[in-house]
Amino acid sequence: MALATYLLRVIPQLIAAVQNFPAAADRYLKYVAYALVVSTVSISLFVTGGRFDSPAAPRRLIALAIAVAIATITRNALAGMLTGTAIALLLSWFAAS
Amino acid sequence: MLSSTPFREGVRAAIPVWIAFTTSSFALGVAAKANGLHWGEIVLMSALVYAGPAQFAVVGPLGAGAPPLQVLLAGFLINLRFLPMSAALAPYFRRVARGKLIAASHFISASSFVIPYMRFQRESQKPRAKEADNDESNLQFFLGLSMTSFSVWVVGTGVGYWAALHVPAEFEEAIKFVLPGYFACLLATEAREWSIRAVCIASLLIAVPGSLWNPNWGWIVTALVIATLGWGVQQWMQRE
Repeated sequence: MALATYLLRVIPQLIAAVQNFPAAADRYLKYVAYALVVSTVSISLFVTGGRFDSPAAPRRLIALAIAVAIATITRNALAGMLTGTAIALLLSWFAAS
Repeated sequence: MLSSTPFREGVRAAIPVWIAFTTSSFALGVAAKANGLHWGEIVLMSALVYAGPAQFAVVGPLGAGAPPLQVLLAGFLINLRFLPMSAALAPYFRRVARGKLIAASHFISASSFVIPYMRFQRESQKPRAKEADNDESNLQFFLGLSMTSFSVWVVGTGVGYWAALHVPAEFEEAIKFVLPGYFACLLATEAREWSIRAVCIASLLIAVPGSLWNPNWGWIVTALVIATLGWGVQQWMQRE
């Protein structure tokens, strides 16, 4: 993975033909990166041990929704993440009690 | 080089990137611990791969013992965006010696790409002495920014992992949430176009069924399908 990543970085520096990157392809790669990262977010929060984590999923979805809303409103990802983490933690304690 | 003016300007320009990297690398270290990786593995990965979203995407599969090809493909697909980034920077390093370029390329990252790119574009409008000098000074600025950011990334990952070792068991839910939560928030602040937001929401909803259909490849396939559909619709609407 390290080698593949490095090659993606170095090839355009060394090969002039790769330097004229089409805007449409650039946009497509952006979409692919967004889709893969969000998919990872979804699996990290809602799948445990290869199964849908139905007890934890609703509370994590609530925490995620609040985190994203705060990040969007404040334009501050850190504030959103900290709030969401606190809510996820509180909801898990509440569910356990 | 370290005392040159462009290098020092690059270091100063890197401060916002350090702040962003501190949080995300720390969260990555925490997530690596939660997924059962060793300290050395995640620190080495941060040093050799140096790509936050891709590292985030593979930490879970690595911890779960996923097939190497799945880990490689997921990381490769996410990191494909380095091609256009590197291509955009290349014209500003055209007269720099190849050896330096080969070494410096490792430090290209999504977060440290925008600042040098904007500066090089600005500087290229001004009349300057020699183009070769411009390119060398561009490289020094880039290295000042990116090498220090890289150091913050690697150290932050190690510190995050170390901190996670000392978190009591009742805080495990926070450890599980912190990195995906941070990336979701980062994307929420960055994704302003409706088409990208639609791709994000669809990916969030479809990834779980995809993963349940096929734990190794399902979510990669669904993400590629959604990205292709979103891009196709956006391209089609742009022509209207």
